[in-house]
Formats: sequence, C-alpha cells, structure tokens
Amino acid sequence: MSHEIPQPAGRFREVARRKLADPHVQSAIDFSTQRLFDLRTAAWAGLEDVEALREQGREIRTRTIADLDRHLAAFTKAVEGRGGQVRFCRTAEEANTYVVDVCRRTGAKLVSKSKSMASEEIRLNDALEAAGVKPVETDLGEYILQLAGEHPVHIIAPAIEKTKEDVAELFSRVEGVPVEAELGALTRAARRQLRQVFLTADVGITGANFGVAETGSIVLVTNEGNARLSSALPRVHIAIMGMERVVPNLADLSVLLRLLGRSGTGQELTAYTTIITGPRREGEVDGPEELHVIILDNGRSNLIGTHYQEMLNCIRCGACLNVCPVYRKTAGEAYGPVYSGPMGAVLVPLVVGLSRAPSLPHASSLCGHCSDACPVKIPLHEYLLELRKDLVEQGVASRLERLGFTLWSYAWSHPWAYRLSTALARRGGPLAGRLGPGRAWALGRAIPRLGKRYRDR
Amino acid sequence: MPGRVQLFATCLGDLVFPDAVADAELLLREAGYDVEFPRSQVCCGQPAFNSGHRRAARRVARTFVRAFSREAPVVVPSGSCATMVAHYLPELAGVAPYDVWELSAFLAREPLAVLRRNEGRTLAYHDSCHMLRELGISEPPRRLLEASGATLVPLRRPDLCCGFGGTFSVRQPEISVAMADDKLTSAGETDALVTADPGCLMHLRGRAARAGGPPVVHIATALARGVTA
Repeated sequence: MSHEIPQPAGRFREVARRKLADPHVQSAIDFSTQRLFDLRTAAWAGLEDVEALREQGREIRTRTIADLDRHLAAFTKAVEGRGGQVRFCRTAEEANTYVVDVCRRTGAKLVSKSKSMASEEIRLNDALEAAGVKPVETDLGEYILQLAGEHPVHIIAPAIEKTKEDVAELFSRVEGVPVEAELGALTRAARRQLRQVFLTADVGITGANFGVAETGSIVLVTNEGNARLSSALPRVHIAIMGMERVVPNLADLSVLLRLLGRSGTGQELTAYTTIITGPRREGEVDGPEELHVIILDNGRSNLIGTHYQEMLNCIRCGACLNVCPVYRKTAGEAYGPVYSGPMGAVLVPLVVGLSRAPSLPHASSLCGHCSDACPVKIPLHEYLLELRKDLVEQGVASRLERLGFTLWSYAWSHPWAYRLSTALARRGGPLAGRLGPGRAWALGRAIPRLGKRYRDR
Repeated sequence: MPGRVQLFATCLGDLVFPDAVADAELLLREAGYDVEFPRSQVCCGQPAFNSGHRRAARRVARTFVRAFSREAPVVVPSGSCATMVAHYLPELAGVAPYDVWELSAFLAREPLAVLRRNEGRTLAYHDSCHMLRELGISEPPRRLLEASGATLVPLRRPDLCCGFGGTFSVRQPEISVAMADDKLTSAGETDALVTADPGCLMHLRGRAARAGGPPVVHIATALARGVTA
C-alpha cells in the first residue's frame, strides 16, 4: 500500500491535536458520525434478526477468504467468458502501470473516476497525471477533495469535514463566478461541472464493492449514480477491485448487500446498485467497448494464513468509524491518507508493516464498540490488542516503554515489593505530574492523591 | 444464598479509591456475605496486557492466581478488572476460569436489599466499556441505583467511551480529555455521575476537578453512603 504520508510515532497525536483545536471540524465530524450512527442503528433495528444476518455475513466472508484463490480463479474465468479482461496486480505500481498502458493504447486524455478507495490506496491519480491523463473524481465528496487537493477523511463520506461554504468557494474557483453556498446551487454547479466529464471522458474508472465469481459481475453501490455514468458512457471501463472483495454467487451477494447499505448509510439498498457483467455485446446500445478488471493485492495477501485473516472480511461500510469515540474526535487524516477509524488502524499496519504505522494500534481506547458495530463481526478491538502485542514482540515499541513495564511487573509480582514501590510512589507524589506518563495525565486532569491503601486499614 | 466471597480491591481501588473498596465491602456485608480480603493480592496485570506487554502482564497476573482460591466467588468493584479476570487472565496465566463477578452484577443476583440512601437524588450512570460490551452488564447497576431511591437520567450517548482506556489516556491525552469533556457535559445537571469502574472514575473526576462538571462517584459509594448534594 503506497501510503506516501508516513505514519511515524507521534504523527497521530499531532494531527489529532490540530483537529481538536478546530471547532468547525469538531462539529462537522460530530454531526456526520452521529447522523450515520442513528441511521445505522435504526436500519439494524428494522431487521428481524440482525445477529443472524451478521453471522450469515461473517460466514460467507470467512468461507470465501478461506478459499480465495479458487474464487478468484472462477471470477476471472467468468469475467473473461463475458468478454472482459482481468489482470491480477501484486503491487500499486503494477496496477498503475496497467491503467496507464490502457489509457495510452486507447489515446485517452480524460478519465471519469467514480469513488474507489483502492485507487486512493495506489495513488492512481498521481500516476495518471504523470502520464498526461487528466482524472476527474465524480463522486461529489471526492470531487470536492480533488479540488481542494486533499484526501478522504472517511471511507464512505470522504468530505465530511467540509461545509457548504467551503464547497461554494471551491466551486466558484472552477466556474470563475461566485456560486452561492446553498445546497441547490451547489448541486447544480456540480452537475454542470461533472456532466461534461461524463460525456467526454475516454476512460471510466470505478472501484468494485464486490465481484461475483458465479457470473463474473462487478457490483457497484452508490447514491449519486456517478459510477453508472462512469462505467457506461466512456469507451473503456476499468474496475479496480481489492482481491478480497470476491463473493461466490448472487445469493451470497444479496446477504452482503443487505448488510452493506444498512451499516454504511442506514439504507436498505443504496440509490444505485449496479451489476455489470461484461462489456457491451453485439446488438446492445450501451456500455463500454472494453472492460478491464484489476484485482489488487497490494499487501492484502500478507494477512492470509495469519491470525488477522478475518480483517479481509471487511466490506468497507464505515460503521466502525462512526461508532469510534477516537475517530469522532480526530476524523480520518490522523490515521493516514486512505483508511481510517478502527478498520484503518488494524488494516494499515498489517499491510504497510507495524514499524511504519506504530501509533495506529494505540489509536483506540479499546472500547470495543467497533467490534459490536461490524456487520461481518471482525474482532477489531481484539486485533488492535494483538497488534500491540506484536509491537512489543517485534521490538517496535520503544525500549523505554518495554523497560518501564518490565520493571513495573517485577515490582508488582510480589506483595512486599508492591507495598514498597507504592509507598515510594506516594512519597514521589509531587513529582508525578512532571514526569513521563504523569505529565501527559496532568494535561487537563488532576493527579489523583494516593491516600492510605485499602489493605492497610 | 449468601456465603463467603473474596474481594479483589484492584490496584486502583487499593491505591487511589480505598473508600470505594471499603464501601463495596460494606455492601457485601449488608447483603449477608462473609467478605474475605486475600492479603497477597496485587493486580490483574491489565495495564501491561492492554499495552501489549504480555510477559510483564503474566508476571503480575500470577499474583492474582496465587492470592485467590477456588473456594468462593471473586467480587470486583471494577468493570474492566472483572473483564480482565473473566476473559483474558485465565489464558494469559494458563489457569482455569474463575467464578468472578463485577460488584453490581453480583449484588443484583439476589433480591435487592439496597437501602434507600439516594431518595430524591438525580443520578446519571456511565457504562464502562468493558463491563458493557464484554461482560454485557448494563441493567444491574441501574436497577441498584433505582432501588436506592435515585432517579436516573439517561446520558445522551451512554454507549460512548469516556476516554480513559488505560494507557490510551496518556498516549493520546488530548483526545482522551476531549472525550471526558463530552461525557461530563452529557451528564448535565445531575447530582452525580456514577460509574462502576475506577479507571473511568479517576479520569472523569480528574477532568472535572480541572474543567468543572458533576461529582463523579463510584457505584459502591453511591449505594453504601448515598450521594451527598
């Protein structure tokens, strides 16, 4: 995963501090996550037996990932049988090269892109621009971010930090005349600006929420219809799918779609659910001449056969972000440029390596809300706990921290040593707020006074 | 039927909130139990365990194994330490599961014999995360507080963490404190915010001492002595 912005220890806290100091960002995240939380809660309550459906979803995902090679082979064969082309790409570079080659071969100058976190992950836009191809994001949130030169802060609601005033300013810049900061006016402006892209783009690039092995179909779930326009109007359609997103058949797909819409936005189904099976066939009036499917590994296969394999069950609904009390304070940027919240805090270190994202396993109070909200029951907070263990065992955790816990554990491994060490700590009370953890505690909190121990009464 | 129980004070209880532990002991005695305090107890190892330091955690968790017998239930006035002992400590230390109970869940097993010490009080109850989601305990503490005469006011988002999270509170102090502010604000004009977890208590009380907010009280204290206005 090409996370260009490194995640050194300390970056999370630094970005979080900036976000906490911005009341506008705070109210925007609070509003959006609360709204998505309420919508999901209501949608889950509307199901007859949400636990049974989650269990079914978990079973489908686990069974599929356990036999991923076979399902991917079946999917590939089915796509090819329908006239599409499939390329398995191990790295971001391979995927970018493939896309750029297709653009070059077809003489493409303009690409209409619909929202795809996989394309964010490989920094596809940068690769296209470097090759002289202009990519335009057509998901409204992504389009706004592209104009602002920023990255998504939420996997399903990428621009939640932006207000209508921010958007009006960005749109005005494009139009050269002021656009009113009013939802109707902004929608009309977006439509004016994007319609030309849909109609003139040479290549359309989308992600893929799922790929169905049985039929060789790509499934796209959106609320704006932009994925449908991006995949149907240009001459060439390229879909980029994470290798774990395959489902065996349409029956399994229907279970996952019931979970995805409800968990992401509280919808029974999103406004558009598009199932694309092959490029345009003879006699058909719509659809691209060429359909390319990129199956992207980019570090995902690191997880296969490990304790963390279930992380590949993730269907990218965003429910764990919306319930996460830490995400609710920081939004996405602190986690890095692509994946955020609990799913990002687990996935990113596993894919890029713990030493490149050492803060993320600790970017959680381990409240466990994410695991409860996950529609496919990924044990997210337990994974975070395991990753913390890996940080220590792989020597990524600082020596000072390891030394501290080791000394502490010896002192507290015998009642007499516990009494002695806590008696000393009591005498050192006045220093507590100035050293190490005590100093961090004292940022905004009173240091507790150690009185007479209960055992000494 | 009442009998003998072993009280696990927890390290925070022993060191920072000895009064709350004494109140827990009183409640257990009032309910008719013989309360034993194993003298060699120290800590369940949770601080190291949640930070990923398994060897250090195991070393400390063994003090628990040495201190507590299998003869009587273990009662803990802490949601998160009860979770540690119930869910993680047996595997960590390589021992059989314990008959371990969080205090309010234990007290609520029997017909409630709580004295009406909070008549006329308006209280808010804060769920500690591990107690709520890993032990699934949400009704017993509320029932006990209501049985003590209090009127409970629901928090706006009782499901949200207060921001303590063990070492999270010092690794990400700014976020941790911001979460505490949300929790304290959501308690509004209550007589007290009650919690069954010394971790949440230390964090929320520490924040309230700096930035204002309602008194934050351990549930054992609220039940044993009543919340004073």
